[in-house]
Amino acid sequence: MTGLRIGRLVLLGVVALLVLGGFAAGDVTVLSGSNLSSMAVFAVEVGIIAFGQTFVICGGDGGIDLSVGAISGLAEVLTGMLIRSGSPWPLAVLAGVAGGAVMGLINGMAATLLRIPAIIVTLATMFMFSGLALVATTGINIDLTSAPPAFLAIGQGKLLGLPFQLVCLYLPILVLLALLQHRGVFGRALYLTGTNALAARLAGISVGRLRATTYVIAGTLAGIAGIIGAARLGTATPEGTDQANLISIAIVVLGGASIFGGDGSVLGTALATVVIAIADYGLSYNDYNPIFQAGVIGVILVIVVLAENVLRHRLERRAAAKMEEGTV
Amino acid sequence: MISITLSGIVKNFGGVRALKGVDVTISGGQVLVLLGENGAGKSTLIKVLTGAIRPDAGRITMGGDTVEFRDPEHARALGIAAVYQEPMVYPHLTVLENIFAGREICNRFGMVRHQPMVERVRPWLAALDLPEAVLHRPISTLGLGHVQLVLIAQALVQEARVIILDEPTSILSRAETDRLVGIIQTLRADGRAIVYITHRLEEVPRIGDHVTVLTDGRVTGNYPAREVTGETLLQLMAGRTNPAPAAEASAEGAPQAERPMLSIRGLSHPRYFTDVDWDIPAGMITGIYGLVGAGRSEVAMSVFGALGTRAGTILLDGAQVRPASPAEAMRLGIGYLPEDRKRQGIFAPQSLEGNLTCNALARFCRGPALDFRGLAAEAAQMMRTYTIKAIGPGTTIGTLSGGNQQKGLFARWAALPLKVLILDEPTRGIDIRTKQEIHHFIRARAREGTAIIVISSDLAEILALSHRMIVMRGGRVVDRCAGTEMTPERVLAAAIGAATSSSEPQPQRQIA
Amino acid sequence: MSVHAGMEAAPARNWPGLAAGREVALLVALVAVALAVSIVSRGTFWNPVNIRSLMVTSAITAIPATGMTIVILTGGIDVSIGSMLGLVAAIGGLAFEAGWPLPLVAPLFCATGGLLGLVNALVILRGGVPPVVATLGTLSIFRMCVFLVLGSNWITAIPPGLTTIFIATRIGPLPMVSVIALLLMAGAAVILRAHRGGRHVYAVGNNEEAARLSGIPVRRIRLVSYVLLGVCTGAAALVQLGQSPLVQTSTGTGFELSVIAAVVLGGTELAGGRGTLLGTLLGTLIVSLVTDAIVLMHIQPFWGGVVLGLIILASVGAGHLGQMRRQEVI
Repeated sequence: MTGLRIGRLVLLGVVALLVLGGFAAGDVTVLSGSNLSSMAVFAVEVGIIAFGQTFVICGGDGGIDLSVGAISGLAEVLTGMLIRSGSPWPLAVLAGVAGGAVMGLINGMAATLLRIPAIIVTLATMFMFSGLALVATTGINIDLTSAPPAFLAIGQGKLLGLPFQLVCLYLPILVLLALLQHRGVFGRALYLTGTNALAARLAGISVGRLRATTYVIAGTLAGIAGIIGAARLGTATPEGTDQANLISIAIVVLGGASIFGGDGSVLGTALATVVIAIADYGLSYNDYNPIFQAGVIGVILVIVVLAENVLRHRLERRAAAKMEEGTV
Repeated sequence: MISITLSGIVKNFGGVRALKGVDVTISGGQVLVLLGENGAGKSTLIKVLTGAIRPDAGRITMGGDTVEFRDPEHARALGIAAVYQEPMVYPHLTVLENIFAGREICNRFGMVRHQPMVERVRPWLAALDLPEAVLHRPISTLGLGHVQLVLIAQALVQEARVIILDEPTSILSRAETDRLVGIIQTLRADGRAIVYITHRLEEVPRIGDHVTVLTDGRVTGNYPAREVTGETLLQLMAGRTNPAPAAEASAEGAPQAERPMLSIRGLSHPRYFTDVDWDIPAGMITGIYGLVGAGRSEVAMSVFGALGTRAGTILLDGAQVRPASPAEAMRLGIGYLPEDRKRQGIFAPQSLEGNLTCNALARFCRGPALDFRGLAAEAAQMMRTYTIKAIGPGTTIGTLSGGNQQKGLFARWAALPLKVLILDEPTRGIDIRTKQEIHHFIRARAREGTAIIVISSDLAEILALSHRMIVMRGGRVVDRCAGTEMTPERVLAAAIGAATSSSEPQPQRQIA
Repeated sequence: MSVHAGMEAAPARNWPGLAAGREVALLVALVAVALAVSIVSRGTFWNPVNIRSLMVTSAITAIPATGMTIVILTGGIDVSIGSMLGLVAAIGGLAFEAGWPLPLVAPLFCATGGLLGLVNALVILRGGVPPVVATLGTLSIFRMCVFLVLGSNWITAIPPGLTTIFIATRIGPLPMVSVIALLLMAGAAVILRAHRGGRHVYAVGNNEEAARLSGIPVRRIRLVSYVLLGVCTGAAALVQLGQSPLVQTSTGTGFELSVIAAVVLGGTELAGGRGTLLGTLLGTLIVSLVTDAIVLMHIQPFWGGVVLGLIILASVGAGHLGQMRRQEVI
């Protein structure tokens, strides 16, 4: 299957176990059911956003989405405000998700139609979306503790003893996206586009539409993540999922995707999410500050990419020696 | 005065032997004209001379001493400079800055001093007929003709003793050509050696002192420029062409009197081609010959929906079409195998299966899902049909030889029902055996009824394959012939304009 | 037909006139924004306090924007300067707390900044990590270091001399910090324009391959650009302490966004090779005016981000719309 680097997946699995073991050695209660649950809950929101980032980066051409955090914030604010004003919560949730999709569409169109580099587009929309969220809430979190319990259950409920969002949202989304990426035309076309956009176009693939779609997916997923977060905390925060930009990109790269596009898999992303979640949770369990956690993730990100580069250079040098080709 | 001798230069690329033992002498105060059709080995030879590549065998001597160029910088330092058709410049910097990039004249604080630089270049401005004002303009505002002169100025400022001009007049107007000729005479009188690559036979006696003809990687002729006739040169360039295959090809049934499958009328694009008419019948192979820059690939891309046009009509099987994208063209039944397989064709790190089936994804869809078993079977089938040598469909295509990659690209169109299939340089850079295999596939496809267009710069190949030929030059169609009319001399002459000496304006191209 | 006709007839493909045109467009935009501000505030915005605040804010942004312009000109980018600023301020703040005198601490700010810039440069150039990813990583790493250095403490022992020197002292109508910023920009502009190193910066951004073949030290130029940006950020950390003499863990968060916005708005292309410091100056003024005005006019400060984002999209998008028409596939 394209994009699935078994080696990296195994490595991630091993690292996850090691890190978990490391923390457990320090304090066995880490492994308790409720702690593992909290760990999972921690990861679900960032993990869902990371799925979207996976697709955007896979599409190539410097594709990246720096506005995911802002999208999650604006989406959950939209949902929160609708709930507070009395709308039925399913409608509010739908509006929030749809809002995320629309925001993703703005990103996608600016990046493909106007050909603005993705960094700039998503930087600008990050300003815009977070600004709008702050304006709408005047900077104050929206209190949702009195929201319908069914809504709060999205983030706080349990199914078979496991967090609701994990079982009924994260896992199904993972399965759906994995199928889309590894069993679907979309995924295949996306890999080809990310590898060689020109050749993809000449093979009849609609490159612009494909790339724009990845941004819509990212926006939708960010919206979902934000809403889950609002339900979990019982408040809608305009900042959205904390540090979503950095962590989602770190997760995607850690999961085996190349920042240049053309490979990577949501499965790798999922495993990388587990690793990051364990590390993150372990740190906060031991009372390490969120800033510290972000720093550790930064270190992991840099080290992983560095290592990948060194490896790639070695492989490329070997391949170049094999392939001597030229035109007469 | 400088004297460079290349002896017995051999260069192979994978399975392709580009230079098979070439001897060339370059002397100061003389203009050496290097002739040869595309694929003869000219650009490889030049790359060896400028230090861009190392020969596999042979010697280079300068003034009697053997030299080995470490890299282009080294060759430059020894006084060898080349001016190419597609120059590497800094578009937003001024002409003066382009000339002196990396070698700026500065004071001891590192501040660039324009006055000394202008003075260094000034003596040449008159000879190159460049007004001094042009020095301070961004180079992107200059037409390619003037960029060429700027690069010559750069070579002169760097005190090059050997100046290689790669097809300089292909983008110049008549007046600009005359000016260049004058400049070359000046440089020659100055004791420099000029290596002048061209296709225009009429320039040989005008510009050159000596002419060397390269055919198929070997030197096939070496004459004083004024003692050899155009016909002789033409015959040498055309080289070994077996007329038999051409006869065989045209003998193979030509379904007559139907309307052509593809008909282009008056197709024009402001940058690349003007007023192009093509008639492509089904079941036959039409060859489009021409030099690089003739506009053939661009016309093909327009038909394929990958390049827009401003005027003209395309008729496919009688109906007018205007494909706006390759996807649409494919739906209409038009296929295109691109010229540059590395850049436009293959997905190098992906598997062979992914590369083979990418055109046909729609066929293997069950809803949004892919039928993987079907894809694998299809890929295996393609590998068998086209004898693509690889361990399995999962092999990374980037590790395969060029020949196998090219077969893979051809195989992409295998399963699609096509009315027209355009093949752009289908056998460039691959070994003889695979070339023949691909020729076989092409003929088979034609027999099935598809209208095949082969664009090629390889004269022998295109004559062997084609039932009929269209020759393009400078963005226009200049000749059509079929059957026994298709002689190498006629086709080549049309492509390089030897038959006529009319001054057709060349399309002005800007820096990409 | 004259041979020279070919030259005149060749249309200016990259519209070099537009480069100057861009600055004119920015000036017009600046005036437009200023007018809008006047109208909305009914003319009350332009009082000495506001104007001085604007000058200080824009100067603090302009200093690192100068370095950022150079980095982007070579084709790179650095999104970590917010955390860089925080870390430099924290280290410098500790030096102040320890009683070090200003003449000793000031260069420490710049040196630390340069060192952090060097870290970025090494990760990008030696490690081969793409600039966005690398600096996204150092963004959080540096911030973590701030936390390690400060914990949850604040540093308030900032000598008032900073405010006196940089903010209160004026040369003509301009506070010292603005003068410094202008001098820096002017000096950098001269170097970019007239110094060999500056021309090489443009060469690298224009055509890295050709630059390498011409013997231009591409790697060294890139490295120096990141270090310079670090030094500028360090300087900004120092002078902004004159405006708000306080260092906490969150100091500098989000700063990189305004700086990049200013540079991009100013016409420097992300791909490199094209851009001027004059453009950056105008971009900085617009960005600062928008953010400052919104705060000082008691409009919800959050609109600042929205407006800024829209301006960036509009300006970059408009520039690209013109190029869109000539898009070919080949």
